[in-house]
Amino acid sequence: MITISGLSKHFGNLVVLKDINFQVRKGECVAIIGPSGTGKSVFLRSIAMLEVPESGSICIKGTDITQKSVDINKIREKMGMVYQGFHLFSHLNVLDNITLAPRKIRKQPKAEAEKKARELLALVGLSEKADCYPHQISGGQQQRIAIARCLAMEPEIMLFDEPTSALDPTMSREVLSIMRKLTRMGLTMIVVTHEMSFAREVADRVVYLDEGGIYEEGTPDEIFDHPRRDKTRTFIRRLNVFNYEIHSTTFDMVTMNAQIEVFCQKYQVKQQKIYHIQLVLEEMLVEILRRCYAVVSPDIAFTIECPSGDGEVSISIQYAGSSFDPFGETTPDEDNLGITLVRNMAKATSHYAEKDLNTLIIKL
Amino acid sequence: MGEYFEAIIHSFYNNLIVGNAYLIVIKGLGITLLISALGLLFGTIFGGVLCFLRMAASKWLKAVAKLVIAVLRGSPVLLLLMILYYVVFANSRIDPVIIAVIAFALNSGAHISEVMRSALEAVDKKQIEAARMLGFSGPKAFVAIALPQAGKIARPVYQSAVINLVQWTSVVGYVTITDLTRTVNNIGARTGEPFFALFLGVLFYLGISYAVYALFSIGSKREGAI
Ligand SMILES: Nc1ncnc2c1ncn2[C@@H]1O[C@H](COP(=O)(O)OP(=O)(O)OP(=O)(O)O)[C@@H](O)[C@H]1O
Ligand SMILES: [Mg+2]
Repeated sequence: MITISGLSKHFGNLVVLKDINFQVRKGECVAIIGPSGTGKSVFLRSIAMLEVPESGSICIKGTDITQKSVDINKIREKMGMVYQGFHLFSHLNVLDNITLAPRKIRKQPKAEAEKKARELLALVGLSEKADCYPHQISGGQQQRIAIARCLAMEPEIMLFDEPTSALDPTMSREVLSIMRKLTRMGLTMIVVTHEMSFAREVADRVVYLDEGGIYEEGTPDEIFDHPRRDKTRTFIRRLNVFNYEIHSTTFDMVTMNAQIEVFCQKYQVKQQKIYHIQLVLEEMLVEILRRCYAVVSPDIAFTIECPSGDGEVSISIQYAGSSFDPFGETTPDEDNLGITLVRNMAKATSHYAEKDLNTLIIKL
Repeated sequence: MGEYFEAIIHSFYNNLIVGNAYLIVIKGLGITLLISALGLLFGTIFGGVLCFLRMAASKWLKAVAKLVIAVLRGSPVLLLLMILYYVVFANSRIDPVIIAVIAFALNSGAHISEVMRSALEAVDKKQIEAARMLGFSGPKAFVAIALPQAGKIARPVYQSAVINLVQWTSVVGYVTITDLTRTVNNIGARTGEPFFALFLGVLFYLGISYAVYALFSIGSKREGAI
């Protein structure tokens, strides 16, 4: 369906893509992952010739679209692009957003285009929003409409550039479930995403982009569970680690807890467990703040590591100062309920100190 | 109280009825509206052309358009009018009204081109790109997405440009045109009651402004939300 060979693109001196060779089969769903600024968007955009590459060829169903003689508008009719920022036509209501291209480009009669649009609205579950304007509906709804707008042109290829990055978890799920439907409909899809659970479950193939090219590719299992190359490994490992630093006794615990919840939900940690993680952290942070930072300002950093699946969650707290082990009191302090609680909840705890740096590890 | 009322009636009679003065006022109003409307029509067309050149890919066209806009916007419309009347068309027999229309088209065109440009630049480029991805060609995307959105953005500024234009036409008396302002001035001078006549003139201009305002709001209602 798509065959890319020797694709290179640079902006001035900045080489973004160099000599990329890549193929996508009909009906395949490919996820593209990678660190920020490695050219994922540029790559996706060049597949639609929104960025014109310096060299290389891009063949869509056998037509090399980098050739000047090709009518790119005709090619794009069969390609849909979904953006992080939705970009619905703000002066048109939802129905007109969907029917505009079929009517103006494919010259469909109004009634026919609207009938089709209503079917698509039903598909994305937004039948009752036909008369709303884009600014009147939520981000997740806008994104579903943006998908419906593409589908109205009956594309064979769909390109997604971080379609859920601007959405909260609930809205993301709505959009992702629509995207799942699309793969079942046999559309060829290329999805740039930070949504690793989607990439893992839905994609047939995962491409890790780095150093201006395809650094590693493979099945989701290969990339997520057995990455072969260094940068992929580091990237995958860092994915399921949550970092947080505290430098003030009046830090915002509510926001912290909210971030933890969002993070854990991404890795399908059960709600009960998320609650435990939050509780453990609260107790430990309060204890550490009370004991180590009563006079000096705090210097605490912690990480939460979620394995994919239902494994053990590991919390690691590092704090500067002389050695202090909250669990180390020889006679357990019966009054300190918090510590007792954590001790009972944890599967294992350990503490070590070296050179004014304490590390506390709690496994849940 | 009664005396005041009588005085007003008297002034009204003196200024507007004697010698069918109201017909002259209507004629003056007609001239003002004619110059405004034609000036606006050609000004908008000229503004569109200027805006197109200003946003053109060619560096030269861009520079020329920029210069023309700067000169026209930077010079008082009355001076422009006098230059056209006393210098450029000095030896021709062209109707001064046509000269006035040219002057106002040039002046308002330069303003309108900038209104159009800033509105077009304010349109979300990503929406245009989204249209291109649906298969729209550049020009088609411009007509379907950029124009209607820019129109909405430009409307309030365009509206005040129109009202400005109407008010500035009051200087055409300098080139022997008897417009609304000149008419009420003449009447005031004849009757020796300049206050009443000039005040009447103000009311007329106010009326025109409101009419413009009303036209615009009907237009925006018809187009619906946002
Ligand atoms: N139009 C442009 N002009 C100049 N540089 C650009 C342009 N578009 C992208 N770049 C640069 O190319 C590089 C790759 O950008 P790109 O947007 O593809 O990154 P990305 O992988 O999509 O990152 P993110 O995950 O943050 O979206 C960046 O360094 C960016 O600054
Ligand atoms: Mg990007």
